Amino acid sequence: MLGPNVAWYLCVAAFLFSTGALGVLLRRNPIIVLLSLEIMLNGGNLALIGYSRHLGDGAGQIFAISVMAIAASEVVVGLGLVVAMNRKHITLDVDRMNTLRG
Amino acid sequence: MTAGAWICLLSPLVGALVITLAGTRISRRTAAYVSTLSTAVAFAGALTAFAGLLGEQPHERHHISTAWTWIEGGSYQSGLSVLVDPLSVMMMLIVSGVGALIVAYSIGYMDGDNEERRYFAYMSLFVFSMLLLVEGGNLVLLLAGWGMVGLSSYLLIGFWHERPSAIAAAKKAFVMNAIGDATMALALFTVIQKTGSLSFGALGSVHGSTAANLIALGLLGGAVAKSAQLPLHTWLPDAMEGPTPVSALIHAATMVTAGVYLIVRTHVIFEQAPTVQDVAAGLGAATLLFAGLIALVQVDIKRVIAYSTMSQIGYMFLGVGVGSYANGMFHLMTHAFFKALLFLAAGIIIHSLAAEQDIRKMGGLKRMLPKTYWAFLIGSLALVGIFPFAGFFSKDSILAAAMDRGTYGYILWVAGLIGTFLTGLYTFRLFFIVFGGEPSPFAREHFHALRRDVVGISMAVPVAILAVLSVVGGWIQWAPFWHPIEDWLHVVAEPLVSPKDWQEWTSSALALALGSLGIGAAWLFYGARRRPVPRLAFAQRTLEHKFYVDELYDAVFYRPSSAFARALTAWVERPLILGSGREIGDDTRDLGGWFARLQTGLLRTYALAIASSLAVLAIVFVAVK
Repeated sequence: MLGPNVAWYLCVAAFLFSTGALGVLLRRNPIIVLLSLEIMLNGGNLALIGYSRHLGDGAGQIFAISVMAIAASEVVVGLGLVVAMNRKHITLDVDRMNTLRG
Repeated sequence: MTAGAWICLLSPLVGALVITLAGTRISRRTAAYVSTLSTAVAFAGALTAFAGLLGEQPHERHHISTAWTWIEGGSYQSGLSVLVDPLSVMMMLIVSGVGALIVAYSIGYMDGDNEERRYFAYMSLFVFSMLLLVEGGNLVLLLAGWGMVGLSSYLLIGFWHERPSAIAAAKKAFVMNAIGDATMALALFTVIQKTGSLSFGALGSVHGSTAANLIALGLLGGAVAKSAQLPLHTWLPDAMEGPTPVSALIHAATMVTAGVYLIVRTHVIFEQAPTVQDVAAGLGAATLLFAGLIALVQVDIKRVIAYSTMSQIGYMFLGVGVGSYANGMFHLMTHAFFKALLFLAAGIIIHSLAAEQDIRKMGGLKRMLPKTYWAFLIGSLALVGIFPFAGFFSKDSILAAAMDRGTYGYILWVAGLIGTFLTGLYTFRLFFIVFGGEPSPFAREHFHALRRDVVGISMAVPVAILAVLSVVGGWIQWAPFWHPIEDWLHVVAEPLVSPKDWQEWTSSALALALGSLGIGAAWLFYGARRRPVPRLAFAQRTLEHKFYVDELYDAVFYRPSSAFARALTAWVERPLILGSGREIGDDTRDLGGWFARLQTGLLRTYALAIASSLAVLAIVFVAVK
């Protein structure tokens, strides 16, 4: 098996995921939130690929490709929403979009 | 012959349906004619059945015609059938004949009243119900007729539904009758349990004195309620809230006589429970004295007559209670004549005096209503039982029958004789107050005579016919000489007593003497006013309160149950039933509000919740692993 141990890959993946999660929780700009989401997804992808390589099973890589495809679609929808909000002159702040409050 | 019985039964029903369904498409007067015609056709049907039976040998006179099987379950079966035998035909003739006269009288009496059509539909329904009761070929149909009579009387007593007192009286009659209906239904259940059938013949096969006693007691309960005997009598005087022809119909033809009919019809079971039969006779004797005493102080013309009905039904109960069925039925028939006469004559008086019923405002009506005076006099004499009027023949035979019943019979006999004195006194007190003396100011002011048009004639003719019947009706049977009614009913119910001629004569002489004495006393106090009316404050107060029976029932039944109901309202209904509805709603809404506060609408809060939950789950997962 070439390269470092699978634990290193998992550490990087966890770091990426946590960074993204903190971004989602702490930032209020929807664009940054979307970016952070991408980082979280990529953390997940890295873990999948790391395990795939460690176990010698291609399934993890197929999953990672699927996740990328879905993430791309999601970004299209998310950015579309952001553009629509901008056109309506809505402030780009997730804390002020609370119409669903009970 | 059975065709005649079916016509008799169905004609009033058709009349009621036609009036109901035609609604305002027929005039009020047409509705009155339809109702009268339907009861008259019923009478014609009854006559056909009667003629049919006359042509047969006595032992053949029993026919049951079944239209279809009505109720069937397991081995139990009862059909929609009519019974034609001497007893039912006699009742059919009385009910439809007197009923037709009273309905005809209503054409005039109810003229111009609001809702005349409803009135006449009810009248036809009432006659139909009673005919179903007397013609029903088994105990189920008898009970059905029994209940429908109660319903019709409720509808008619409360006919003037804008008067609260009429509604109260109607409810009272219905509740009192429902008590009797319930005991009767229980008796019928016992019959089914014992014999598996509800035909009249099944009663004969009930053995075992407990069952026989229970059944007889249940049937007696029904009879007592329907016939307004002690202790279920309180509805009858209040039922005077209905229109006067309704009172006449209830008293003479279609309702209160049902109890007497029931005992005669089911006499087999009463003979197996002699104690209960004695109770029936005792209740009759008690009621006739009780009602006679109360009638002495009443001031409403219809109530005096109502109490006299209770008293006379008491005689009938006494008669059938000692086993003299034919005499009980005979008195039922003559009573139908003179009681209908008295009520209809009273109706003319009330009609002529602008609906006034208080006898203290009447007086001196002899000159204003000479024909009604004679009709009322005939009715009164027949009621007291003065020779040669109808009551003489029937009442005295009942007393003679009581004499032939041993020691207990003598007690009943004495009660009956005292009753004749009371009858004379209260009847002629009423008569002298209403007709005697000079016309009162009220009468002079409000009097208006009957017109000689349909209204006047339709009221006068039935009264005239009934007056004739009250004179000649009794001559059908004069026990010492001829007794066709005894022979006629012999095949249905054999008498348990056979009074000797000397008993007949003694009873007749004493009853006549005491009745005349009562009339004489009434004349002294109220007619000639030679003597002041004795004042016995306590007795008078007791009688005016009708022996406090209403007050007693009020205290024993009404108040505890209404207090119980109020307690339930306060402790169960409001806090538990009503409160629970409101509180369940409130609590659900509070819970919803509490959960709604979790919905902040803030995206980052949700994300934090998800992330922290996931973290917790992960820690738990690792720890447990």
